Amino acid sequence: MDLSAIEISSLRKYYGKTRGLENATLEVKEGEIYGFVGPNGSGKTTLTRILLGLIHSNSGEAKIFDQDVKKASVELNKEIGYLPSEAFFFPEMKVKDVLRFFQEMRKVDDSRVLELVDRFDIDVNKSIDQLSFGNKKKIGIVVALLHSPRLLILDEPTTGLDPLMQQTFLDLLVEEKKKGVTVFLSSHILSEVEKICDRVALIRDGVIYQVFEMSEIAQLENKKVSLFPALEGNLPKGMTFIKVEDDLTHYSYVGDINLLLKRLSQQRFDKCTIRDASLEEIFIQYYQKEGVSHDVL
Amino acid sequence: MMFSSRLFKLEFSRSFKSLLTWSLSIGFTMAFVIVLYPMVIDIYSAIPAEYQSFLDAFGGVPHNVVEYYATEGVMMLQLFGGIFAALEGYSALNRDDKEKTVECIYQLPYSRSVILTTKLLKVIINVMLFSIIVYLMSLLSFIIIGESFDGVKFLIFNLYNTIMFVVLAILGFALVVFMKPTQKSMGAIAFPFVFYIISVISSVTNNDTLQLLKHITPFTFANPVDILKLGADFEWISFVVFVGLSIVLTILAYWRFQKREFTV
Repeated sequence: MDLSAIEISSLRKYYGKTRGLENATLEVKEGEIYGFVGPNGSGKTTLTRILLGLIHSNSGEAKIFDQDVKKASVELNKEIGYLPSEAFFFPEMKVKDVLRFFQEMRKVDDSRVLELVDRFDIDVNKSIDQLSFGNKKKIGIVVALLHSPRLLILDEPTTGLDPLMQQTFLDLLVEEKKKGVTVFLSSHILSEVEKICDRVALIRDGVIYQVFEMSEIAQLENKKVSLFPALEGNLPKGMTFIKVEDDLTHYSYVGDINLLLKRLSQQRFDKCTIRDASLEEIFIQYYQKEGVSHDVL
Repeated sequence: MMFSSRLFKLEFSRSFKSLLTWSLSIGFTMAFVIVLYPMVIDIYSAIPAEYQSFLDAFGGVPHNVVEYYATEGVMMLQLFGGIFAALEGYSALNRDDKEKTVECIYQLPYSRSVILTTKLLKVIINVMLFSIIVYLMSLLSFIIIGESFDGVKFLIFNLYNTIMFVVLAILGFALVVFMKPTQKSMGAIAFPFVFYIISVISSVTNNDTLQLLKHITPFTFANPVDILKLGADFEWISFVVFVGLSIVLTILAYWRFQKREFTV
């Protein structure tokens, strides 16, 4: 039986009259990478902070490893590694002193810290206020991971990282997952969610709309087709016109790719691109189908 | 464990430069005032009688170096030392909000009470160190100029003065817990100043009602002229009011801090 790493039910949080979360319910299984996706201000950080005990919900329940986050936050924080969306540390201190502080607070030995520092190519002799946003983020990653937590809570983890570091980080998450670590990843960047998540929940305006299994999405075989000139005659079954942009006519296609190729071979094109639809495009299509505003993402 | 020694070390090292700057600046100022004594003592005898009555309102004419220290030097120590103490208390919590390090501190596996106790302890120790440094520099200056003085009286005054600084630091510390996290530190500078003004008003007036104001300022129980020059009775009311207030506010701060939302 799958154990739950995070369980929230009917969670509600208002900041005065402003909605932070409304009746949020979700479950993250132990050992999975769970994406929590939504636009800025949708409630992702609110949920993250409730889970960490930094803010308190108005009603509902939030549990991590079957313990109430309000009552057991000290014990739970031993098991959690947290990366905030913007990592702030003590500005006048050197990186090595900051890392030493967290290492001693978490009571961990040098080897893990050195391994992470080496992996993320961190200059430990620089002072924090000399670091760029991305380099501070790398320190944040080391701080989140240095005590080998059972649960990683990551808020917009790759923002500010260069593409190489993004890949290093995503690879590391996959390695952590293999060790049994649960990852709760909040993001508005669907491409990173697409790469590594097992499941993804969509949130907007504090409301969780839908939870998808990534494997289900992959089975949709949703393609994007861009053509010049446009396809003449009736569109084949499964093909939908999207828009015309820069001379190209864009379509979506769901169905047997061979049937599509056969239909396209009946006409001459100057430009023709067929690619898998991104997660973002699939979600937009999903919401249009379900009658939810397409700007949900 | 009621406090974290590692967090204490971090907090202390981060505030050490500020502690040294404040203590040495005020310490040297006090030392400068004291070493001037042999050069200025003759001035007092030359002051016309009508001006001497004016001086009485501010402690009168000093007859020895400790009285001179009480009437001419301590004002700066108490005013700037009070501001230092209040800022020290205020910034212990406010700094995390200002530098947005709240998330990195409070995601550690330590309860809010442990963090609060550690920070409060650091504040009290810093204020005491400030007092000790200024006390030692003043003491050294007395020795340098070779004037004899009542060391016990001087020590007792400094003890009360240190308690008064600790009270102001706790007021600053508690103030932050009840204010919005984004609040500027001007409040911390303002309230020692207000207490000081109240203390001055209550001591220069002949109005009985205004004199009662002395009970609502902590400067009263550490009044340098009363302790070092006049040998007046200890002001228990002011002492009990402010030490009691500090204890009550500390308890309330612990209660309120548990409910605090870290949204920065």
